[in-house]
Amino acid sequence: MAGIAREGGSKSEQNGRGSSWRSPNERRLLPYLFIAPNLIVFIAFMFIPILFALYVSLTQWTLIGASQFIGFDNYVTMLGEGQFWQALRNTAVYTLGVVPTSMVLGLAAAVLLNRKLPVRTFLRSVYFMPVVISGVAVALIGEWMFNDQYGIINAVLTKLGLGAVNWLSSGTWAMVALIITTMWTRIGFCMVLYLASLQSIPETYYDAARVDGASGWARFRFITLPLLAPTTFLVLIIQVILSFRVFDLVYVMTGGGPGFSTTVLVQYIYEEAFTNQDMGYASAVGVVLYLILMVFTLIQWRISRQGEAGQ
Amino acid sequence: MTWQSIGRYSSQGALVDFSQYVDEGYSDAFEPVFWRAVSYEDKPYALPHHTDTFAVYYNTDYFEKLGVSIPQQGPQSGWSWDQFIDVARQVKDETDAEYAFAFGFQGPNTAYRWLPFLYQNGGQLLNENMDAPQITNQAGVDAIAWTQSWFEEELIPAGSTIKATDSTSVTNLFATGNTGMMIHGDWMMPYLKDNMKDFDWDVTYMVRNAGMASDLGGNCLAITKDSQNPELAADFIKFVVNEENMRFFCRNSQFLPVRKSLIEQGIDYSYRPDAMQKFLEQAKTIPDHMAGVETFPAFNEINALLEDQLELAFTLQQEPEKTAQGIEDGIKEILSE
Repeated sequence: MAGIAREGGSKSEQNGRGSSWRSPNERRLLPYLFIAPNLIVFIAFMFIPILFALYVSLTQWTLIGASQFIGFDNYVTMLGEGQFWQALRNTAVYTLGVVPTSMVLGLAAAVLLNRKLPVRTFLRSVYFMPVVISGVAVALIGEWMFNDQYGIINAVLTKLGLGAVNWLSSGTWAMVALIITTMWTRIGFCMVLYLASLQSIPETYYDAARVDGASGWARFRFITLPLLAPTTFLVLIIQVILSFRVFDLVYVMTGGGPGFSTTVLVQYIYEEAFTNQDMGYASAVGVVLYLILMVFTLIQWRISRQGEAGQ
Repeated sequence: MTWQSIGRYSSQGALVDFSQYVDEGYSDAFEPVFWRAVSYEDKPYALPHHTDTFAVYYNTDYFEKLGVSIPQQGPQSGWSWDQFIDVARQVKDETDAEYAFAFGFQGPNTAYRWLPFLYQNGGQLLNENMDAPQITNQAGVDAIAWTQSWFEEELIPAGSTIKATDSTSVTNLFATGNTGMMIHGDWMMPYLKDNMKDFDWDVTYMVRNAGMASDLGGNCLAITKDSQNPELAADFIKFVVNEENMRFFCRNSQFLPVRKSLIEQGIDYSYRPDAMQKFLEQAKTIPDHMAGVETFPAFNEINALLEDQLELAFTLQQEPEKTAQGIEDGIKEILSE
């Protein structure tokens, strides 16, 4: 490393091995060559499409035929569109319901499965499996389980004497059912990330705390939690982004209904784009979604950087 | 492509005009409603391939005990709206079924299946010139009110709305005896064959009121504008929709033909030909005007609007007048774009 960083000295001094092609210019180029494949893919599949979407959001376009430049009209329409605000509200409610709960339960699962239990590996797999199942499959399972008439959840509730709930035919309960179904796929994800972090906390800290007489809960609160802070921020960002981007699970499980009570932002974008053929307006909403997530990510980034600096 | 989606492609120049590949009089072989469905500005942009439609399935085990008379004499003998509600109430009260029936919505984008009820009541969605909505009249409001009453009276499960259903949820309810009847399409028969083990079923004609109407289902075949070899494609499509091939297709997949000759002769279906015969007769009641509406260029937007408003009527009991007004305002906005 020092050899590459040093500017001075003759070529033969820098090139310890004497191979003639490692000139300073080539050395500066080398890192970029290494990241080039990833960078090309990123530019082609993310950066350029985002720029294109930004452009389309300033037009009116039905996908078939030419587009028409209309400036910021789409954004103005959006602000006055009740359905947009409803979709935004629904997405926020969904996110608030899913994220804290799955993080807490994921952490709990990680702490519990960090001990040397005989079935530990099996249980970890069981908790993680829902994460890798397709959203559509999860949605169908959720739809059948929560079905008002023949769903197993209502069957159990009735047997317990609690009475059936109008899961999918009532606005509030449909959102609850969605949140519960989503949590099933998120807890494992949080658990895995927390587990990795937990295992990097040196056991000596806990030993020292035990010697000082700290209880289990005190050890958790004053050692584990603070040291998990970076992971917590990471998990939080990822969870929020995933929740704001949800589509397949909601679309298949409730179709955005009853009424508009579970219509989320991405479904709104999808319907505006492909049903109403308003690619321009849909792109504008997409840009707004992007900005919301960008703002959130920047805040988290800033806080976690301060946190790291303070350590 | 489905009838409901062809309008948006043909009106935007994405399909090849078929009139150059068919002779004068070619269209006479097809039932007129389907030829109208493939036409935009009086020119065909696809050839009709097959159709399917809705009728009333009923659980024969349940109905044996009820002693209700089943319509047998063709679509005109179908239960009237009042008769149907009476039958439904009987099914709900006197049989093991938890609900009387469920309606064949299959998730988002299937709102158009509600339109036959509007036409049964003597209404129509747009006026004759198709340039303005016509839903806020008495016929329209009453159609909304009647279908809303199914939910209010709990004759139909609350979760059986447009957005909350998927491809099999309604058929599931019927197959498991949770509902005594199901208003659905002929293509659900294979599902019943595999899944309705505890009960027997049969089919009777769609309900009717002032008029008869049933769902416009099925597909047509078109050529995209970018086709390298449109003449060859046209020949192939004409081959696929010729009498022999159409008969083969329909016979083996439980669909209905769209050629006059095949509708007259009938098709010897391998599974439940008696039931398919009723669907075949029912397909003749698909309203011409409704076909025009469903193949209208902006129909997918109208369909989405119908879905939203009807959902509100079915799930939140939005008043019929307000629902009709919502549909009218939405259609006016769509037409003005």
